[in-house]
Amino acid sequence: MTKLLEVKNLVTHFVTQDGIVQAVNGVSFEVNQGEIVALVGESGCGKTVSSLSVLQLIPQPPGKIVDGKVIFAGMDLLKKSKEEMQKIRGSRISMIFQEPMTSLNPVLTIGRQLTEGLQFHLKLDKKEATRQAVELLKSVGIPHAEGRLNDYPHHFSGGMRQRVMIAMALACEPQLVIADEPTTAVDVTIQAQLLDLIRNLTLRLNTALIIITHNLGVVARYAQRVYVMYAGQIMEQGTAIDVYHNPLHPYTAGLLGSVPRLDEPRRTRLQPIDGQPPDLIAPPQGCPFAPRCVYVKPECKLKRLPLVEINSGHFTACLVAQEGALPWKKILSLK
Amino acid sequence: MFNLFYRAKKEVTEPETSSRQHHTLWGDAWVRLRRNKLAVLGGSIILLLALAAIFAPLYLKYDFATQNYDAILVGPSTEHLLGTDELGRDVFSRLIYGARTSLAVGLFTQLVVLMVGLPIGAIAAAAGGRVDNLLMRFVDIMYAFPDILLIILLRAIFGGSIFMIFLAIGLVAWVGIARLVRGQILSVKQRDFVAAARAMGGSGAYVTLRHLLPNSLGPIIVAITFNIPRAIFAEAALSYIGIGVRPPTPSWGTMIADGNNVIYAAPYLVIFPAIAIAILMLSFTFLGDGLRDALDPRLRR
Amino acid sequence: MGKYILRRILWLGLVLLAVSFITFSLMHLVPGGPWDREKELAPQIVENLNIKYGLDKPFYEQYINYVWNALHGDLGVSYKYQDRSVTEIIGTGLPITATLGVIAFILALVIGIPLGMAAALKQNSVIDYVAVVFSTVFASIPGFVLGILLVIIFSVWLHWLPTSGWGDWRQIIMPAFSLAALPAAYTARITRASMLEVVRQDYIRTARAKGLSERIILSRHTLRNALIPVVTVAGPELAFLIAGSFIIENIFSIPGVGRLFVQGVFARDYGLIMGTILFYAFAVAIINLIVDIMYGWIDPRIRYD
Repeated sequence: MTKLLEVKNLVTHFVTQDGIVQAVNGVSFEVNQGEIVALVGESGCGKTVSSLSVLQLIPQPPGKIVDGKVIFAGMDLLKKSKEEMQKIRGSRISMIFQEPMTSLNPVLTIGRQLTEGLQFHLKLDKKEATRQAVELLKSVGIPHAEGRLNDYPHHFSGGMRQRVMIAMALACEPQLVIADEPTTAVDVTIQAQLLDLIRNLTLRLNTALIIITHNLGVVARYAQRVYVMYAGQIMEQGTAIDVYHNPLHPYTAGLLGSVPRLDEPRRTRLQPIDGQPPDLIAPPQGCPFAPRCVYVKPECKLKRLPLVEINSGHFTACLVAQEGALPWKKILSLK
Repeated sequence: MFNLFYRAKKEVTEPETSSRQHHTLWGDAWVRLRRNKLAVLGGSIILLLALAAIFAPLYLKYDFATQNYDAILVGPSTEHLLGTDELGRDVFSRLIYGARTSLAVGLFTQLVVLMVGLPIGAIAAAAGGRVDNLLMRFVDIMYAFPDILLIILLRAIFGGSIFMIFLAIGLVAWVGIARLVRGQILSVKQRDFVAAARAMGGSGAYVTLRHLLPNSLGPIIVAITFNIPRAIFAEAALSYIGIGVRPPTPSWGTMIADGNNVIYAAPYLVIFPAIAIAILMLSFTFLGDGLRDALDPRLRR
Repeated sequence: MGKYILRRILWLGLVLLAVSFITFSLMHLVPGGPWDREKELAPQIVENLNIKYGLDKPFYEQYINYVWNALHGDLGVSYKYQDRSVTEIIGTGLPITATLGVIAFILALVIGIPLGMAAALKQNSVIDYVAVVFSTVFASIPGFVLGILLVIIFSVWLHWLPTSGWGDWRQIIMPAFSLAALPAAYTARITRASMLEVVRQDYIRTARAKGLSERIILSRHTLRNALIPVVTVAGPELAFLIAGSFIIENIFSIPGVGRLFVQGVFARDYGLIMGTILFYAFAVAIINLIVDIMYGWIDPRIRYD
């Protein structure tokens, strides 16, 4: 498996009136060619900011990528100029955003928004670009594709707009697609369809995929590997199967425990995680999860805990797990 | 509840500062307004000018009408602060007395505007249905008139004293307020309707009025503040053309018109009133901007 | 779309009717008659004149006659210049007022839009500061004050430009700028606010994520959205320019419709007064209608189908 993207120690800050928000605080992850990787965590944990940092789409006045390396196909993206990044965005790495209702330009036709990427990156002429745009729409399952090229976004439903977004992201056959909560804002009935579509298309093109989500069900079904993030740091990483069946971090366990499962008896109570995520302006010194953690030990609060490999490919940042105990497994009734 | 905690915490950890949270809309707005430097500047200028105008006879050496043929077109000097005009009248005192005219017009026209616009807007909103439709069509028609021209026409009809000027300007300017009042009442009507329905029947109009005032008074005040410079301008324009206030009542517009005749010889006769108009209008605009920001409920902490 | 236009035109007709009726009534309230001159005319002459112009007929008959004639393009005869029709008089003034208005309008856009854009794109920079100051100051200073100050600077002190008149290109500069100042300030303010809002939108982020160049993002994505509110105010601005030109015309002695109007009021020239007010009301309404139609063309979300 060749490494396609390697993010090393990414640190991204936002300067606000109340202080500096350390949104991403030393995050490292990697994606191999054709792989599907998930970034999981609750809102505000830094998963979106991490992916935006990869593409350098962070608005620079308040935001700033302070440290780290983003190695894509051998190049450090953080060292690239604006023009060089423009060539990469949309053609080699593209992004699918969360909000289909506001992510498309309301005054341009769908066709135009599809063809402009093709014309700009692949230098196609108008006729060829239009032809490919039709094919793209067909491939994402939009009926009457030719006719719909001249329609405007407000003529489409949310789910269909998201399909258009997917088409736009795959138009130039990128090597990596980052999908930021692509189905969160869409009807439940459509969610599975869209995710299946994304997976099938990326598999077909051998495009790597980073799925950002807070929905563990999505992770279980589509991702090969998963990174669990919390308060701007990675808590656990491993293959989806490993992380699911053998969570090595109390936060992961908490996430798993708070999801209703069909194979549990109905009377079992959902167990939410007590407390709130920490203030990212003044994050705690040690493990960021310590204030909420039931298994916390005094050493946890001392200093930042590094990720340690427990089993092959399965890392955790939890001190308790690193010392060999996994007390949360009993609660989850995992074997 | 949160405010109590906030206050308590401040008292324990810091000495009291003047930036305390205020519970009322007005108190909070006043604090915010004070912090807006431009608004404070504008308000101070207006206040200063008003005081200067009111107490004019007490300190002004010359009257605005006294002609002195020995001192015609004298430039600014120690004797005549801003010089004299073509009839030997002291420009400075004419300017100050002219401020009386401008300020009076600015303020009193708003009375007319409120007396006409407020009821019309309120009735339209409260009555709804056909009455509302009719009144708003009427407002639309009034909007189609080019306002300055209508003011001129009304002025020609009414003739007479400065009170007629108030009337002429006011009768054209009420449309904006009417629409605003109607909009405010309608939005409050939506909101309070549920609450009012729960309240024991009770006179809906009375309840609405009691809740209406704090919220909608804000935009109305702001609108009036922006209307004032427009009225001042209208009066100056009317006087400039010659159908404004009758001489010898001084008006900045008349001063400009008169000064135009000798503009090459004595440009200052035109500069001073022109700048005066500009400054007064700017001051009201700054004040209006400040009021609008201060009274904006969305900006409340 | 066609039905919408039809409805608007009908409404326009109704408004003009109402405007004419109100104006007509008001004029008959003006003290003194149309024949008041410096020297009093003999009653017999006054009576003859009244009969000649149909002023002895009852109010409603006069009004209906007037409307009927107006629909045929005849706005009556000027009472002051008895051998010229109102339509003809307005016709001489119209091209001048229109030219002045259009030039001022173009000036306002050419100054306001780029200024607003630059201010939005380089927030908190020098140009942003200048733009905000410019728009605040010039939005509050009335055109005629500005006109007068310009005359002082450029005519009296510098002797570069003539103070009045019409015909030479130099005579257009100061009136056009005086007239354009306020709309320019408003345009700058609105353009800036609108651009700031659009630039924050999700779809701009999408465009950037597609790797498009900043130039394309600006011209194709940002501007087209940001200019929509500007178009909305363009209509009232143009209407303002046409109506507000009258005082500028007075200052600079420009023989446009506005000046004619004022002269008509002083001379109690009923015909001219009616004609000019109707003309203005008509012009304003037509402009607003055109702007509304254009608005539909620019913003595809609002197509009146």
